[in-house]
Amino acid sequence: MAESAMTRRGERERYDVKLLQVDWGFALVLSLIAGIGALVLYSVGGMSWEPWAYNHLLRFGLCFVLMIALSLVDLRWWLQLCYPIYAVSLLLLVAVELFGDVRMGAQRWLSIGSFSMQPSEFMKLAIVMALARWYHEAGVKDATLSWKLIIPLSMIMVPVLLVAHQPDLGTAMLILLTGVTVMIVAGLDWRIIGAAAAAGAVAIPFFVIFVMHDYQRDRVLTFLNPEADPSGAGYHILQSKIAMGSGGLLGKGLGLGSQSQLNFLPEKHTDFILAAVCEELGFVGGFTVFALYGLAVYMALRIATLSHSHFGRLAAAGTTATFALYVLINGAMVMGLAPVVGVPQPLLSYGGSVMMTVMIGFGLVMGVKVHRYQELPRSQSFFAQFE
Amino acid sequence: MSEPSIFFEDVNEKQGTFHRRIFLMGGVTALGIFALVGQLGLLQIVQGGKYKKLSAANQFNFRILPPPRGQILDRNGNVIAGNRPSFRVLLIRNEIEDLDQTLDQISYVLPQTEANRRRIVRDVSQSQRFVPTVVASDLSWEDFSRVNLYASEIPGVQAVMDEIRVYHYGGAFAHVVGYVSKVSEKDVKAEGENPDSLLLHPSFRIGKQGVEKAFEKQLRGVSGAQKIEVNARGNIVAEDPNGTKPPTPGEDITLTLDAEIQARALEVFEQDSGAAVMLDIHTGEILCMTSAPAFDPNLFVSGISSKAYRLLADYERLPLLDKAIGSTFAPGSTFKMNTVLALLAAGVSDTERVNCPGSYRFGNRTFYCHKKSGHGPVDMRHAIKYSCDVYFYHMCNRAGVDRIHDTAHKLGLGELFDLEISGQKKGLVPSTAYKREAFKKDPKWHPGETLSVAIGQGYTHVSALQLAVYTARIANGNRAITPHLIKKVGAVDTDFDFKPIDIPPEHLQVVRDGMYMVSNDADGTAYRNSQLNLGDIKLCGKTGTAQVHSYDNAKTRKASIWKFKDHGLFVCYAPADNPKYALAVVLEHGVGGAAFAAPKAREIMKVALLKDPAMQARIVRPVPVEDAAAASAEALPDITDVPNPDPTIPPAD
Repeated sequence: MAESAMTRRGERERYDVKLLQVDWGFALVLSLIAGIGALVLYSVGGMSWEPWAYNHLLRFGLCFVLMIALSLVDLRWWLQLCYPIYAVSLLLLVAVELFGDVRMGAQRWLSIGSFSMQPSEFMKLAIVMALARWYHEAGVKDATLSWKLIIPLSMIMVPVLLVAHQPDLGTAMLILLTGVTVMIVAGLDWRIIGAAAAAGAVAIPFFVIFVMHDYQRDRVLTFLNPEADPSGAGYHILQSKIAMGSGGLLGKGLGLGSQSQLNFLPEKHTDFILAAVCEELGFVGGFTVFALYGLAVYMALRIATLSHSHFGRLAAAGTTATFALYVLINGAMVMGLAPVVGVPQPLLSYGGSVMMTVMIGFGLVMGVKVHRYQELPRSQSFFAQFE
Repeated sequence: MSEPSIFFEDVNEKQGTFHRRIFLMGGVTALGIFALVGQLGLLQIVQGGKYKKLSAANQFNFRILPPPRGQILDRNGNVIAGNRPSFRVLLIRNEIEDLDQTLDQISYVLPQTEANRRRIVRDVSQSQRFVPTVVASDLSWEDFSRVNLYASEIPGVQAVMDEIRVYHYGGAFAHVVGYVSKVSEKDVKAEGENPDSLLLHPSFRIGKQGVEKAFEKQLRGVSGAQKIEVNARGNIVAEDPNGTKPPTPGEDITLTLDAEIQARALEVFEQDSGAAVMLDIHTGEILCMTSAPAFDPNLFVSGISSKAYRLLADYERLPLLDKAIGSTFAPGSTFKMNTVLALLAAGVSDTERVNCPGSYRFGNRTFYCHKKSGHGPVDMRHAIKYSCDVYFYHMCNRAGVDRIHDTAHKLGLGELFDLEISGQKKGLVPSTAYKREAFKKDPKWHPGETLSVAIGQGYTHVSALQLAVYTARIANGNRAITPHLIKKVGAVDTDFDFKPIDIPPEHLQVVRDGMYMVSNDADGTAYRNSQLNLGDIKLCGKTGTAQVHSYDNAKTRKASIWKFKDHGLFVCYAPADNPKYALAVVLEHGVGGAAFAAPKAREIMKVALLKDPAMQARIVRPVPVEDAAAASAEALPDITDVPNPDPTIPPAD
């Protein structure tokens, strides 16, 4: 266990030292995004803290504390918990398949007593951790071009298919893309990447026509031609574009966005909050939000490169990938560049489960920063090192 | 730990690949964010103007403000057709997701919704997408305010206050003023290429008959618009006072009709069927034009039930028909003044006498006078006074049917007038030309046929309006007045200039003498029922009884079935010395003109005379001092209270 010569043994284990190592700049960027979210929620709530803005800030505060607490957890604990968490998440997905509640036409929720949850949400993190763990132990050859790649691929595809069957295409896609991103950054051979991309391009039209549910297909077709049915399925996209476009450079001002205030903008507090931001705060506001997101991604990826352990790198990169995918997919959807797929804008949109997933993920990323000099064993039992 | 736990090369290679790939991932993410920011700039800055317009179009709506319909007034400014406020609840179909649920919600606030449910569901399914359906109208203020309070919470429900047409005189003007009703598809088509959007407004009603129809354009007005801010559900959030264009109200129409006379005319008809038309003989203004029985036009405004409509349409006395202009009758003896004028025109002397033995033999047929015992020797004036048929049988062929026809047209019979409302029937006064045209098998006019025409029977049939014009022209004596119904449209007065009548005044004087005797000689046919009891204001008239059905036995002119009874007619003018008013009354199946039509005419005429300030001045003579106060207290003395200034004239019984 080589430790940096610069510090005394055991010095890094002290929590006050760890707290100083927390990336407070990163935490500030995240807080700013959540703050803008609260501001716009205050506005679209009719210039009122109720019903959204107050809850949003409260949740962010709790998640913030959780994130900092998680950042102090030793990476070895994370490493050991990867497979158990993945296994539990997978079991929960199967349980959803068997016993889940049907809400709004999809079987996504699992109720235990009065507590209900969406296991697919946990899977976004679990897949990153499980893959990071696997690649942490795998050799270079295994990660680039090897039959062993069947293992990470299965780890991705089993939950993806389960979630897609619920059906929750948005989350399934997110898990798939996150997993694939981890595989790529872990060093997947370019030939496999190229072949998979080509196969995907061929398969997508067939998928749209034969596998998708009607409403899903409608959304895709509407995306391709939104003006065909402006009051039906194309309504969301059109109203969202009107909201953003009419904001202009400087926006209509807080509380003055007619599209969001008069309910022309659907889901203005959740999936389409970015449109409300752009309407009321204009291009300046929208640009600021994207700049903060870009900065957050940059900072998180930088943390990933600082890590001395492969697990740390991949876990941080994978979590960041989930976050970046959220931002890009939601942004494209709201601006009419992608079909409407029910993906919220992380930290900006109102909603507890996504915020929790993202903040737990960033807890792990921050943990990677705090423990960046920690070297982790490749295959030994975590508990063995204490012997 | 025997084995090293780290293979450095491997780690370095892993780390190297990872760093390159992370750089790539960061680049891809940055590219994605740049693309989004670019799209944002395109939407917000490049296309911002376009979306700002779309947003404003979303936000603001223009709502039609229906103009108040012009009022229809009588000559004295009494409102015949006006508007009253109406509280209504409307359902806007394209905002409703579940009609049943919405109706359930409304019925909480408005219990009557339940009873109307089937009608509402039917209306909603039949109406166009953006046209609201009326859930309930004419709500009480309490109901309206309750609905208004909750309407904003039930999507697609609107509580509105607007105006509805009201006819204050009920049936009195039902035919001449007509009514407004819901717009039909035919009405929309009749508007041509670009129908007024007002037609689709649920509160709008279109004129369907009479003045309401004829002056639809002037009465309607121009709708205004209100700029309102709406939310996505279409509910009004705010109104923009600067964006509101007020509606232009429709023009008021002032009729020549007198509401008091008109209402009284309908009253005197009671259950009887017929028509009464009164004209000012100098101006041609129609003072009263009544058709009885009438119907309540208010029924049609909010939509008459089909059951009620059937009752009206199936009633044998035809309340829906305008009998004043749209129905023609044989004029009977009222036609005899015309025959007299034709005789005078043919050079027959007014003093030449004919002996009436009670019947007249022409060819192989015997024609009876209405007085079987005969009138003895009668001259022209007495022929009118007694309505002696034999005189006319005897004389008529000296005038000939064509001269009778020409004279009739000079007097307005068989003529269509340039009346402002539609629905006139032309009727017919026969001539040799008519016979040639209409009877191809027997085109020759037989002198025997002239006998029927001379007494207003046979082919002859005329409308009540024509009879009134005929009487007015006789009374006027030198102008061929034409009837008019409209006094003012908006603020513009209508003015008419009449041509001189092509009949010598002395001829007309003969006829007037005869009519005076009818009503004022104790043995005149209408003496008993022509007494006005208004001092020296006298009535001149002529009775008529027109046979509707040929009797098996001509001697007993009685029919037990109402439809086959004779028509009773009475035409008159007053005052005798200085005529002002002419009146024609037709009583369908009213058996006799003298007995049944004349009393009605007298009552109607009295209302007109008593209203006339010039007449009042004549009636109210200087009275003893103690009665003066009482007399002046009542501007309009009651008919029964008028003292009989001339005790030599016996009172009517």
